[in-house]
Amino acid sequence: MSFVLVQVIVGGLLLGAVYALFSSGLTLVWGMMNIVNFAHGDFVMLGMYVAYVVYTLFGGGPIFGAPLATLVLATLGVVVYFGLIRGIMKGPMLAQILGTFGLALLLRYSVFWWFGANFLSLPQDIVGGTYAFAGLRVEASRLLAGIVALLVTLALHLLLTRSSLGSKMLAVAEDATAAQLMGIRPDTMQAIAWAIAAGATGLAGALIANFFYIVPTVGETLAIVAFVTVSLGGFGSVPGALVAGLLIGVIESLSGYLIGAVYKDIVVYLLFLFFLWFRPQGLMGKS
Amino acid sequence: MRRLLWPSVFAAFAIAYPLLLSSPFQQRLGALVLLYAIAASAWNIVGGYAGQVSVGHAVFFGCGAYAAMGSYAKFGLSPLFGIPGGIVLAVGLAAIVGVPTLRLSGHYFSMATIAVAETMRLIVTNTDYVGAAVGLSGPTVARNVFDLSFISALPYYYLFLTVLAITLFITWWMTNSRMGFYLRAIKDSERAARSLGAPASRTKLYAFMLSAGLTSVAGALYAMMFGFVDPESGLGILISVKILIMAALGGAGLLFGPLVGAAILVPLEEISNNVLGGKGAGLTFVVYGAIIVLIARFQPGGILSLIQRHLRKDARPAGQGGADHAP
Amino acid sequence: MKLKHVTGLLSAAAMSIALAGAAVAQDKVVKIGAILPMSGGTASIGAHAKAAIEVALDIINNAHPELGKLPLAKNAGLAGLGGAKVEVIFADNQGSPATGQNQALRLITEEKVAAILGAYQSGITLTSSAIAEKYGIPYLTPESVAANLTERGFKWFFRTTPIAPDFVRIYDEFLTDMKAAGGKTDSIALVHDNTEYGTSVANTIAAGFKEKGRTNVIDVAYPVNATDLQAQVLQLKEKKPDVLLMISYTSDAILFAKTMQSQDYKPPILLADDAGYSDPSFIKAVGKISQGVFNRSAWAVGPAGSPSAIVADMYKKKSGEEMEDTVGREMQGFFVLVDAIDRAGSTDPAKIQAALKATDLKPDQLIMGYKGVKFDDKGQNVLASAYIIQLQDGENYVSVWPKANAEKPPMLPYKGW
Repeated sequence: MSFVLVQVIVGGLLLGAVYALFSSGLTLVWGMMNIVNFAHGDFVMLGMYVAYVVYTLFGGGPIFGAPLATLVLATLGVVVYFGLIRGIMKGPMLAQILGTFGLALLLRYSVFWWFGANFLSLPQDIVGGTYAFAGLRVEASRLLAGIVALLVTLALHLLLTRSSLGSKMLAVAEDATAAQLMGIRPDTMQAIAWAIAAGATGLAGALIANFFYIVPTVGETLAIVAFVTVSLGGFGSVPGALVAGLLIGVIESLSGYLIGAVYKDIVVYLLFLFFLWFRPQGLMGKS
Repeated sequence: MRRLLWPSVFAAFAIAYPLLLSSPFQQRLGALVLLYAIAASAWNIVGGYAGQVSVGHAVFFGCGAYAAMGSYAKFGLSPLFGIPGGIVLAVGLAAIVGVPTLRLSGHYFSMATIAVAETMRLIVTNTDYVGAAVGLSGPTVARNVFDLSFISALPYYYLFLTVLAITLFITWWMTNSRMGFYLRAIKDSERAARSLGAPASRTKLYAFMLSAGLTSVAGALYAMMFGFVDPESGLGILISVKILIMAALGGAGLLFGPLVGAAILVPLEEISNNVLGGKGAGLTFVVYGAIIVLIARFQPGGILSLIQRHLRKDARPAGQGGADHAP
Repeated sequence: MKLKHVTGLLSAAAMSIALAGAAVAQDKVVKIGAILPMSGGTASIGAHAKAAIEVALDIINNAHPELGKLPLAKNAGLAGLGGAKVEVIFADNQGSPATGQNQALRLITEEKVAAILGAYQSGITLTSSAIAEKYGIPYLTPESVAANLTERGFKWFFRTTPIAPDFVRIYDEFLTDMKAAGGKTDSIALVHDNTEYGTSVANTIAAGFKEKGRTNVIDVAYPVNATDLQAQVLQLKEKKPDVLLMISYTSDAILFAKTMQSQDYKPPILLADDAGYSDPSFIKAVGKISQGVFNRSAWAVGPAGSPSAIVADMYKKKSGEEMEDTVGREMQGFFVLVDAIDRAGSTDPAKIQAALKATDLKPDQLIMGYKGVKFDDKGQNVLASAYIIQLQDGENYVSVWPKANAEKPPMLPYKGW
C-alpha cells in the first residue's frame, strides 16, 4: 500500500469523524421523537456563525467559541421545541418536513439578512497549524474535531444507556403516555433532548468553522451528508452515526482519490442504497 | 349535487382566470400554479394516498424534462415527444427503484428516495451526452406550433389546465377503485391490510409508477415552457421538496389539496420575490419560511383540511359539528 | 401697447413651454432591469454587482467631470435623452433558470424596462434572454461565459465579457512568456468543478491548448461545494504538474488553499481563472496562504487619480469591498448598455439595438482592460480581453502581465504561505 493511500485514509477518517460529529444531534431527535429535522444543516451553520462572532468580537478561538455555540444552540433547541416541534410532533410526517423546511429557510435567510452573503473564514492557524507524524500530515483543527466527535459520541451513548436522565428520555420515546403515568414529564424530557441535540450540533458547527468556510447556505452542503450518515447508522443510534460517518468519510476519500472526485458521492449513495437492501433498519438500528 | 358545487365554481374560475387577470405576468403565474399543481397532485398519489413520503420525485420530474429537451436537442423532434418518452423512462425507473425501496418503512423510504434522486442528478451532471452540467435547451425560435415555444402564457395555461384535469380525474378514479381501497387500508396499517389479503407491495408499486409517470409529464411541460433543463433545475433536491411541501401545505391525501397548496405557495413565492427580491437582503425567504412554519405549526393537516372541516360543519345540523374538531 | 402686450404674452407662453419641456426632460426616467443572483449560494456576487451598478448609476445620473473620457460621466443624466435619469430595477434570479425567466417577463411587461442586464449564471442568462428575444427587448450579459449563448442566432443579445476562447489565448501567451522568464510550464493540470462554468471552460481550454501544442494536460474534476478536497490535493502532489490552472468558485477556492497548506503542496505556478479567486472574501480568508497566485482579470486599479482609481474608491465607499474583476465586468456591461441608449436618443428597443450594434468604444473610454467594445454579428464583444494579476503581498492583486499594463514584474515560483 502506497504511503499516499495511508494519508488518504487518515484524511477520510478525520472527515468521517466530522460527519459523525454533526450527525449525532440529528440521530438523537430522529430516533427519540421520530422527527426529520430539515433545518439540521442550518443549526450547524448557526454554530459556525457563533464561533465567527466570538472570534471577531473577542478574538477568541474554539475554547470560547465552542462552549458558547453549544449554549446558544441548546437554547435555540428548546425554543424550537416549544415553539414548533411540540405542535407538529403528533401530526403527520409531512407536517414535520413542512415545518422544519420552513424553519431552515427562516434561519438561513435571517443569518443572510444580518451577516450578508460573503464567505467568511477563521484564521487558518486558530487551533494551531498542521502536525506531521512520520510524513503523515494532520491539521490540528481537524484532529480536534475528530477527538471531540469521539467524546461526544461516547458522552451521548453513556447518557442514553447509563444515566437516569437517559432512561427517562428513552421511556418517553418508547411510550409517552406510560412514562407520564410513571411521573416523567414528556415535555421536559423532549425539550432536554432537543437542547442536547441542538447543543451538540452547535458544537459541531463551531469546530467545523475552524477549517471550513462560513456562509449562510453552508447548511445545504452538510445536511444531505448528515441525512445519509444518520440513516446508514440507523435512526437514533449514536454509535451507528459514528461508524457510518467514519465509513462514509473513508469511502469518499478513497473513491475521490482512486476513481475521481466527481464520482465519490455517487459511490456513497449507491453503497447506501445497497446497504438498505440488506439492512432496512440501518447499520446499528433496531428493526 | 352539493358535492359538485364548489368544484364547479373552481373549475369555472380556473377556465376564466387568464381572461380576468390578463397581464402576461398574471397569466404566467396562473400557468405556474397549474404546473406545480400537476406535479404535486402526481406526488399525492404515492405520498398522500399511499402514505409513502417520497423526497426524490425530482428524479421523475427530470425524466420528463430531459426527455422533452432531449427530443429536440438530440433528435430535432418536437419536445412533445418528451411526454411519452418521459413517461416510459419514469415508469420504468419507478419499477426498478420501487421494488427495493417501497418495502422500507417511513423515513428510510424517504432517505432512499433522496439518495436515488441525488445519484441520478450526479450521473447526469457528469454525462456529456445529456449536456452534463450545461444542460439541454429547447427550440429558441419556434419552427412550428408543435415546438410549444410561445410568447404568451395563455396556450401553456390551457394546456396545463387540461393535463391537471386529467391528473385529478385519474386520481379520483383511482381512489374510488379497488386500488384506492387497498391504499387506504395500507396507509392505516400495512400489517392489517396484508393480513386481510390486500396485495400491499404490488399496490404500492403501482401507485408509485402511476405517480412517477404523471410527475414526468409535469417535468416535460416545465421544460417546454422554460425551454431549458439542467441537472439542478430538473433533478435537484429543491424540486422534490417543493413538490412535497405544496401537497403537504394544501393537504396531502386530499384530491384538491395539492392544487390548493400550489395556489398558495407559487404566488407567495413569486410575489414576495417581486417585492422583496431586488433588495438582495434575503427577506423573500424569511417571509416565505415564516409562513410555511406558521401553517405547519397551526394547520399540520394542510389548509384544505381546515376548509373542509368548516364546510362539513356547515352542512351538518347544529349541535353535531363540534365533535369533528381536533382536540 | 397692444402689440407689446401680445409679444409679452407670446414670450411668456414660449417660456412656459420651454420650461415645461425642460421639466418633462427632467422627469423622464429610463428604466433598465438587472437580473442577478441575490439569494442562494452565489448571492454574494449579486450583492457586489448591485453595489457596482449603483455606483455606475451615480456616475451616470450626476456630473462627474473628473472621470475624463468615460462616456456619460461628464454631465448629469443622459444627454441624448435631454438629461433623462436612469433607474435600475433589480430582480433576484434565486439561482433558478425558471425564476430568472419569470423575472425577465415581469421586468419587460410590468416594469416596462428599456433593456435588461443579466443574469450571471449562464443557464439563467439562457432562459431569461429567450424571453427578451421574444419580446424584442435588448439584453446584455456582462458576465456569462457559456459558448452557446451567442450561438443561438439571437438578434437582441449582446455580451461584453471575454469568453473561454479568449482565455485560451491569454493563458497560452502568458505561459509562453513565463517560460521565457525561466518558469517551468510544460505540464498543466486543469482543476475544475463540475458546474456548467467549470466544465465548459475546462473543456474549451483543454481543446485550445491542444491546438497550440500544449498536450501535457491533465484534467482534475471535483464536485462543486466539496466538503473535502484532500484526495485531489494529494493526487496533484503526486503528479507534480508545473502549472495548476484553477477553475473554481469561492467556496472551493478557499478550501483548496487551506488543504494545500495543510498538505504542504505548492505547484511552481498557480494560475486561477477568475471566479472564486477574484472574490474579496477569498483574499480575506486565505490571501495570506495564497501568495503568488496568478489570476485572470480585466480590472486594474491604475495610478491614483485615474478614472479607474476614482471608480474603485467610489465602489469601496458603497460596498466596503475592494473592486475586482467580476463587479468590474458587471459595471462595464452596464455602461455599454446605457451608452447605447444615450446614443440611440430614445427608449425604442429597435433604436437601442441599432445603437448597440454600432458600439465602438476605445480602451480609454472603458474602466476595464478590454481592447475596446465592438460586437460581431452574434453579439459577442470581439475586443474583450484580460490581464494577468498576481497576489504578491497576500492582500492586493497587482497587474503583472502583459508588460505594457504591468504594475510590477511577475514573481516566480508560487510562494504560498
